[in-house]
Formats: sequence, structure tokens, C-alpha cells
Amino acid sequence: MRATVKDGVAIFTPQGFLDGSSGNALLSIDDIEVTIQQNADMVLVSLKKVIFFNRNGLDSFVKMFLKVRASNHSTVGFCDYNTKKFDAITRFYKDDLTFSLFQTQEIATLFAASYKNQSKNVLLYNEDKSQRAAMAIELHDNGHNPIVTQTKKEFDEKVKVENAYDIIIQDTYLGQMGQKVATRVTGNAIIYTISSFLDAEIGNTFNIAYHNNSLNVGFRLFIFDAYKVISMNIHALNFFSKLATAGAEYNASICFVGLSFEKTPKEFKETLEDSGIMFFDQMDDILQNKSLLEELGASSAANIKTKRAINKGTITELPNFIEATVCTIEMMTNSKAIKDDVLINKIDIGEREGKIASSIGYYGDMDGMIILVFPTGIAKKACELLIGEETNDSELILDTLAELVNIVGGKVKTLLGDAHISVDITLPRTYPNVDALLEIVQNKKGVQVDLSFNDDKFLFFLTR
Amino acid sequence: MITQKTIDNYIDKIPPAPDALRETLMHLNIGDLTKAAKSASQDKALNNYLKVLVNKSIYGFRNEVSDVSQIFGILGVNQSQQAVYNYMTTLLSPSKWELFKLNRVIFYNLQADLSVNWQKILTHLHIVDKDILSAISLLPASIIVSEALFCSKKNDVAILRSVNPIDFNTLLKRLTNLDLFDICGKIAQKWEMPESIVQIIQASSGVKNTNDKEIDRLGRWMHLLLFHTLSQPQYIEAELNDFIDFQIEYVEDIYEDFSALMEIE
Repeated sequence: MRATVKDGVAIFTPQGFLDGSSGNALLSIDDIEVTIQQNADMVLVSLKKVIFFNRNGLDSFVKMFLKVRASNHSTVGFCDYNTKKFDAITRFYKDDLTFSLFQTQEIATLFAASYKNQSKNVLLYNEDKSQRAAMAIELHDNGHNPIVTQTKKEFDEKVKVENAYDIIIQDTYLGQMGQKVATRVTGNAIIYTISSFLDAEIGNTFNIAYHNNSLNVGFRLFIFDAYKVISMNIHALNFFSKLATAGAEYNASICFVGLSFEKTPKEFKETLEDSGIMFFDQMDDILQNKSLLEELGASSAANIKTKRAINKGTITELPNFIEATVCTIEMMTNSKAIKDDVLINKIDIGEREGKIASSIGYYGDMDGMIILVFPTGIAKKACELLIGEETNDSELILDTLAELVNIVGGKVKTLLGDAHISVDITLPRTYPNVDALLEIVQNKKGVQVDLSFNDDKFLFFLTR
Repeated sequence: MITQKTIDNYIDKIPPAPDALRETLMHLNIGDLTKAAKSASQDKALNNYLKVLVNKSIYGFRNEVSDVSQIFGILGVNQSQQAVYNYMTTLLSPSKWELFKLNRVIFYNLQADLSVNWQKILTHLHIVDKDILSAISLLPASIIVSEALFCSKKNDVAILRSVNPIDFNTLLKRLTNLDLFDICGKIAQKWEMPESIVQIIQASSGVKNTNDKEIDRLGRWMHLLLFHTLSQPQYIEAELNDFIDFQIEYVEDIYEDFSALMEIE
């Protein structure tokens, strides 16, 4: 079985009865390989739909946890269980609990630092004092407000107060947490999480190809969450200076948050500032300051280093790109697409009102960017299949649209893979209106395909 | 991807039950095993199917049983009807499975596993009713319908499911407002199966309560039996484990009873 991946969290959802034989059947060697390649920040196995399990059944997944963590330094564990299941797991692995246990997926994401739901009031209790402290530190680092109860009695009393807390944590255990350069997107900023001692190894662990393609796709604000960094040496300093200089050609901003200079030479800060890197004490200093966020993240794309032309390789594979897009939108809207027009030029959106857009980059044997411009009606319809109901919540629509364009990217990757062209895809980016999109692409040439879905006009644009 | 029209076309293409089968069922319905065996013997494929089915180890017969009248004699009226309905379901199955990693042998095993354990459950519940016993035979039709509707969209569905853990039943419902179990119900009606079979199958989806307490109770047992069966390695490897959504809350109140009956430790 394969995990679904969203916001950097991969989740397996086995169903029914989980014993030694079913556990082994659920996870093949290929499945484990794919999970490693997915490179998620957190890999979880949801027990929500498992009615029975024994140690042998869990062992299959625990073996996978060890392999994934050894390769990717991801946080791994089980989630979605009741107290009875929690007690069973802790009993099975009494002296060997190397993975984490999160009572719910919602609780797990608090520790994944997605910054999507920050500033939650979290009541927590664990009978182990060091676990309580570890959870409180992680939650605080991730922008939440943990309220730690020292005794079960205190917890039981506080829990009775209605509406006092956003989330209540119990039956949760933090195993070894991940130590990777994790990537996540909030708004249109990309956040990298770095920790521990930074040295020349950062050059290996940081995915520079991903970063460069994020720049190419139009991301302009990169935040390094450095709360857990103990110190950095001259090699890491050089790495970040070069990164900032390269990013400046795209008018990109790089910020460090929470970096302490207790064990890092103070003059390093000046060197980094000279390279254009900014420093903030708290993540909220950026994320909660909308005007600053806009200033740093939505800067004009006019300064893009090179305006690269669409090339022959891209044109040759154009049918694959269009097929991937059309099939996905047809599948999501359950309607038939008609191709109206194809032209090679700068993007021409026509009527701008009532449209939203999304983009995704690909890189590897080929590189470029797919842009999709939707009338809000089609976007809403396409999202209904994933959400399961009609919605007018524009944030939810944009979020789901990102998932949709991720599906298109995945399909492109598969189709190109069939043609022996290996590419990876960036995180998707969404635009609440056409103007935000045009800041990124208005001067780029590319292939524009106009499509109709039940008389609604939809635009596909492929550029580099 | 899939529309109401796709479903209508699919239902239209399902042939009516063959005459020999209808006659067999008619005789079984009045308890005449001799005439039923005589009618069944006219259909070579049915003969062959019954022979393969009842000689599976889960049925527990020591010696090979090969003659239809012998098979019906051993099974009795109720289980004979169940076996004939199982055969009818196989008439819908594709010659080559593409969506699921199934073949004829594994599918027959699934039918046998479900049928024998359903009998065990009904005995435990003190229910003796040939239509209720036969209801289980329609359950694998939901797998066949998934295969038929989604096999040409296999890659699309795989990509969709890589970002959203959506099951085939929910996907179909969102696309067409009909789910797999509604379609199974339509097949049952076309084959003039008893109404109680349709109702139990609907309840076994785990997402549709009827207003009948007894039907809902049977639906819960059938839902749990399905997932107990689909948790076996051969069906997990056939990728059947998550083709529909397991409704754990729906079956919680019968779980202890079920695990004792199935000797789950």
C-alpha cells in the first residue's frame, strides 16, 4: 500500500485486521522504497480504521519507520487510536519505543510545524516528566501555546473547562524527532527547518535543485526556521551567503528566525546581513505581519535573472502536459474538455475577474512551469470531488486547488517517466487572483492552450 | 470520468439470468433438490463452477464431490441456492482483471471464504433463511462493478488516491450520486433476486442505515466479515483492502462477539 502525502506528511491508512501476515502483505519492499523517495517530513500510520492489531502486525510498519528515518531523518509513528490501542502499543514496545505516537492526525501536525494552524492553545498531559517537557518545547517552537499539567488530577480539572483549549493532548508520545531540512509552504513563503550544528554537510542535505526551481516557479520568500540550531561554522556561513547572493538575482528574500548567537560568532550575523539575509526572533514576526509578508513574498518578478525560451524538448512533450492536465480536470469535474486554441506567446488571460490560478514547476531532465488559470466555478467543481461537498471558502478552494495541481504534476511526472524523461516536481503555488499570477509570468513566453469545459473557459500555460 | 450514462450502459449490458439458472432457482425455492439438480446439469459452466467451489478446503469435504445432485444433496437447499447465486455473480466478472490483482482462483476463494463464514455467522445468530444466506453472494459484485467502471481510469485513480485517501465507493458516489451498492442492487433487481438480499447488501456498505433493525444488524455483521476477509494476505495483495471504506464505528458493538466467533486472538 502507498501513503497519501499532504503538506509534507505521509499517511498510511490500513483497514481491518492487522497481524503478522496482513502487515507483511500491506507493505512491500517497493512500498518502502517509494515512501523513502517521497521524502516526507513525517511518516504516519493511521490506526483509525484498524479494529484489531497485534505486535507482529505493527512490526511490519515499525521496520519501515526505521528505514525511512535512517534515510530521511523524518519523524515517524502511529496516529489515530483510542486509549485502549495506545496502552496496547506502549505495552508491546515497552523498552523499545523508538517511534512517536500521536493520538490524532491533528495532534501530529502540531509537531510537524506546518505553520498552517499556529498559535493554538494546547492543553497537554503525560505522566512522564521528560515527555511533558519535550512536547512543550516542540509545541512552543512551532508557534503554539502549550499549557502543561503536572498531574492527572490537574489535567482532569482543566479539561472540564469548556472552550478553553483548541486541542487537548494525551495518550501521545514523542519518539526520536526528525532532523532533516524540512520544507513546507505557508501562504507563498517556503519554510526550511534547520537544526543542530550546521557545517559543510548542509550543502548535501539542502535540496538546492528544489530551491532553484521554487525560485523559478515564483516563490520569493524563504524562511529558515533556526530555533533548534545550536551553532554554525564558516562552511555553513559560506553556503548561506552564496544562497542569498544567488537568490538576489530573483529578488528573493531569505530570513532566519530564532537563530541564537550564543555559540555562533556574532560577526557571522553581520556577514549574513551583508548578503541580504534578515533576522527575526519569532516566526510570528513575519507570518503575522501581513504587510511585511506581502513586501517580502510578493515582490515583482520583473527582476527574474533569465527569461528562458521554451525549447524543442518542451514542445515535443507538450501533448503529455496537455493530456495530464485535461485528464485530471475532466476527472475532477466529470465534464469533457474541448481544445479551442493553441498559441506560443506571452500569456493572454483576457477577462481577469472571477479567476484564480495555480502553478507547479518540474525539474530534472527537463524543466519548466505549468500554470493553470481557472474560472472560480470550475475550480469549485474540481474541488468538490476532493472535499466531498460544495464550498465557498476561498482559502479551502485555493488549498484544494494546490492539491489538484499537485495531481497534474504527478501525472506529468508519470507520463514523462513513460517517455524515459525523469523529472521531479516542486510544491504547488496558488494565486487568489490573476494579478498575482501576472507578476510572475507576464513577461514570459510560453505555450498557451485555451480549453472549454461545459462552456467555461480554462487556460493552460507552459513556460520555463 | 464516470457519469450516470456510463452506469446505465453498464447495467444495460448485463444479461438476464440464463433459463437453466432461473429454473434451478425456481426448484430450489420450493425445496425440490432433484429437479434443481436436473436443471443445473443443463448448464456445463454452472456444473464446473459448483464442483470447483465446494471442493475448496474451506468447505471441509474429505472426498471430492463431482456430481451436481450429490453437491446439492450435501449442501442442502439453502447453501445450494447460495452457491447458484455465487455462480451468477461470477458471470459478471471480467476474463482479465486490470484494476485489482485478481484472477479466477482468488475470486472463487473470496466467494468461498465469505460464504462459509457467513453461514457460520447466521448459525451463531440462530438465523435459518435461504435468502439471507444467499445475500453474501452479491457482496463480491461490488468488486466486479469497481473493476468494470474504474479499470480504464486506473492511473487517474492512482494519482488521485496518492493525495487523497478516497475509496472507490465514495469516488463513485461523488461523481454520479450512485454508489457501488446501489449498482449491485440494480443488478439484483435485474436478476429478480429477493428484495431482502438487496437491503442487506445496502446495509453492508456501512454508510446506509435502513429503517429495519434486523437488516442493519445483518449489514453490520456482513461489513465486518468483509473486512476480516479482505485483511487476509491474498486479498491485500489483490489490492482489495481499501476498495471501500471500513466503517469501524458501525461494527464496534458486535466486534467482541465476532472476534470470539472467528477465534481472533
